[in-house]
Amino acid sequence: MHKCFYILIFSLLPEIVFCQNENLSEIIISIAEGLASDESDPEAITLFIERLHELSENPVSINSGDENEISRLFFLSDFQIKAIADYVKTSGLLVSIYEITGIPGFDQQTAEMMVPFITIENNVNDQPAYATWRNTLLTNLIIKPGERDSSDVGSPWRILSKYKFTAGHISGGFTIEKDPGEKTLTGKPPLPDFLSANLSYNGQGFIRRIIIGDYGARFGQGTNINTGIRTGLSLTAPGYMSGRNEIRPYTSTDENNFFRGAAAEFSLRNLGLSLFYSQNRIDGTLNSPTDSSSLFIEDFYKTGLHNTLSLMLKKDVVTETSIGVNCTYDFSFLRVGLVWSGSSFSLPVNGESGKPEDLFKFGGKSNNIYTFYYNSLVKKILLFGELSANDFRNLALVQGITLRPSDRLAINFLYRNYSPGFHSFHGKGPGNSLYPSNEQGMLGNFTFEAAKHLFISAGCDISYFPWLKYRSSSPSVARKKEIKLKYLVTEKIIFDLSYNIRSSMLNFNEDQGIANMAEISNRALKCLVKYSPDKNLILSSCINYKISIPSESKGILMLQDVAYKFRQAPITIWIRYCIFNTDNWDSRLYSYENDLLYTFNIPALSGEGTRSYVMVKWEIRDIAELRFKYGLTSYFNGNTLSENRDELRIQFRVWF
Amino acid sequence: MKQLSSLQKKSVSVLIILLSLPASAGDLYHLPAGAGEAGMGSVCIMKTGFWSSFHNQALLAYNRSFSAGINYENRFNISELGTRMAGIVIPAGRASLGIVYSHFGYSYFRREMGGVACGLALGEKIAAGIQVDYFSERTTGEYDNFHSVTCEAGLTVIPQENIKIGLHIFNPVPNSIRRTSLPTSLRAGAGIELSNVLFAGAEAEMSSGKKLLLRTGFEYEAARNFRLRGGFCTENTSFSFGLGYLVKFLNLDLSFATHEKLGFTSSCSLIFKIK
Repeated sequence: MHKCFYILIFSLLPEIVFCQNENLSEIIISIAEGLASDESDPEAITLFIERLHELSENPVSINSGDENEISRLFFLSDFQIKAIADYVKTSGLLVSIYEITGIPGFDQQTAEMMVPFITIENNVNDQPAYATWRNTLLTNLIIKPGERDSSDVGSPWRILSKYKFTAGHISGGFTIEKDPGEKTLTGKPPLPDFLSANLSYNGQGFIRRIIIGDYGARFGQGTNINTGIRTGLSLTAPGYMSGRNEIRPYTSTDENNFFRGAAAEFSLRNLGLSLFYSQNRIDGTLNSPTDSSSLFIEDFYKTGLHNTLSLMLKKDVVTETSIGVNCTYDFSFLRVGLVWSGSSFSLPVNGESGKPEDLFKFGGKSNNIYTFYYNSLVKKILLFGELSANDFRNLALVQGITLRPSDRLAINFLYRNYSPGFHSFHGKGPGNSLYPSNEQGMLGNFTFEAAKHLFISAGCDISYFPWLKYRSSSPSVARKKEIKLKYLVTEKIIFDLSYNIRSSMLNFNEDQGIANMAEISNRALKCLVKYSPDKNLILSSCINYKISIPSESKGILMLQDVAYKFRQAPITIWIRYCIFNTDNWDSRLYSYENDLLYTFNIPALSGEGTRSYVMVKWEIRDIAELRFKYGLTSYFNGNTLSENRDELRIQFRVWF
Repeated sequence: MKQLSSLQKKSVSVLIILLSLPASAGDLYHLPAGAGEAGMGSVCIMKTGFWSSFHNQALLAYNRSFSAGINYENRFNISELGTRMAGIVIPAGRASLGIVYSHFGYSYFRREMGGVACGLALGEKIAAGIQVDYFSERTTGEYDNFHSVTCEAGLTVIPQENIKIGLHIFNPVPNSIRRTSLPTSLRAGAGIELSNVLFAGAEAEMSSGKKLLLRTGFEYEAARNFRLRGGFCTENTSFSFGLGYLVKFLNLDLSFATHEKLGFTSSCSLIFKIK
């Protein structure tokens, strides 16, 4: 009866939400925007997009009932994964993907989000008798003629190449990247500025995964180890990523936050075990005391950009050795886990910079973190938490709860408390800071289906920073509030309205003594209408308005997107035209852009001007794809053109 | 003495034009709305009409009769700020062609615009159109004359029988490829036929270097062939109203729009349906 009800409800929902193959790129961007908590964090969104594209190309077979397979849906929590697996085992195969909303722990929006990335066909165990080789090679070339710097040591092009192969249980690949201004080949022997490679084995039995080469890892809530996407703190995103464990081959381009060595994942009935060892060379700024020739690490250099001679001196100067163990055990309603990780550096880190905000800065050569975490699903309540300790001295605590009092309402709360002295070099816990340190906070949000086709979500996050930090010379507070309304006007029109307020405390009047603090807040209103008059055509109109307080600086932006897939040619075209007008940089506006596959562009627009781009995708039979994007930003001074910035992006992808 | 008076007149006129136009209806290079559209707060880009076809060229596709029109806009009741327009629409198979001319100003300063447009139905529910514009600005005395060519394009979508969505872009051509910069603008709007006799619409417009404008308006067929119109635009808190009467092949429209500081702007247009 329940099945029939849910199938009926979802079959009445708009075609635009579910009929997606033609518009997958837009859907992926829309989901990534929702999942990413901060629109100005392009790295997080790029990671989301990369992972979502991978999923769309190889959808998850949810009817396999295999947690390992379902866990590829990275945006689900461990217990959402377990809930699907249990449902399949106890209630039988899902006859429609829309049945998911009837599974405990899933609301309608999460189910909708999953749809493009899953299949109900159960073929995960149908491994061919012989290994079939599948190869994919992708190359990006990005040229920004106006941004050439005379101090650059190399060409202004950005080049990225990725290769991946799979052959049965074995897969592998490599990533090569050169940032703008970097030399194409450096060092002895000459190698690309960034080169990453991996080889992995994926199994269904005792050995779940073995990776040799470069890999990323994430355990529990991520306060100890999380080299991937930060646990989402989006105030209005439907899904709530309450942590899951994984080790995965590294395919991204962050040059410093990954492991290089070997990792393995084992599973024996209710027991899970992950082990990893890594020795990686990372960037840093070295220095030596005036009275000694011994070197120490002044700071770690994270950007990965080596386009000048001084920045090249920072490259790969520190050797980091990391080792870790993660052990989990599943009870019927509870999963518990223990993690230990240790990091040591080839040189000591200087923990005494003399600045008050660096009082708790890490100093020394090694760091150990011990973590206990749990997840528990009792009826419609999901509880999860984590406690990490830094050499038994400094703590990081995360505690969350997800409630689903009715099928139309989901409520989340999350508390975190990271002491200022807690240090994790590969951890990203839920929160506003880059690292889980010096932050206490509470988040609450809800999503509510107020009426048929009308969804309301809202959230509030308050963070307190008990110690000083960059540009805050006193303990400070930050607040985020957001309310979002989504209305499916007709089958083909989606109306989205959101209002958010973000405030933080920053120094002002820094000339003398201890700087005073002032609260800076930004209020933003966004209105988006997306309509698809034809399955090959999508039109989006968007207006963004922002006001920054206390400067009273205002910014407004209006944009129009058109995406069209030609019927009689394997060509898709995306066009954007955007006009913006902001008083100054304080009221700058961000506009998400469709970009090359696996990449994303979020230009910050300020001043008066226009931003436009055209992107063309040409699918060359079933073996290759060529994408070409030309973007132009024009700045005006009154009606006079003051500056033009253009860029060209080309991508070629071939699979065989 | 006569020469001095002439110089004074010239200077004052140029000053009035420079001061009043930026504070008036949107972009300097926008064709003024026809009287029918001006009565609805200049909501132009989604409602089929003779003059609106030159504000969103996709609407030309729905103009299936050979017609011609003239329009006069008397801005703030100052004859020097008057705009005269003439246009013609010619159906041609699945497409319709349009030609429009406008003249603003007087003997010492005039801005002329000529446009050739084409609108085409791409399907039952989608139409697109494009227009090539030529602008000429002539000022007597030491001021430079100015000529420019650009284009504009529009799209209409009918998601439901009674709903029409319009999009329009003016001057998408990068200014870097020509000598003189022209403003660029983007408009998006939607309209709904609430009943057989009532239409309401709203649109947003953003021009380079300007704030967002919102417009809304309605048209009500109060009696057979007699229409009442009203509208509002956020720019200069402008309210407008108008009326229209259809006599066989002739359409007569009148409109009045307020300006919070500069008074009334009135418009009058005649449209002849020839065939």
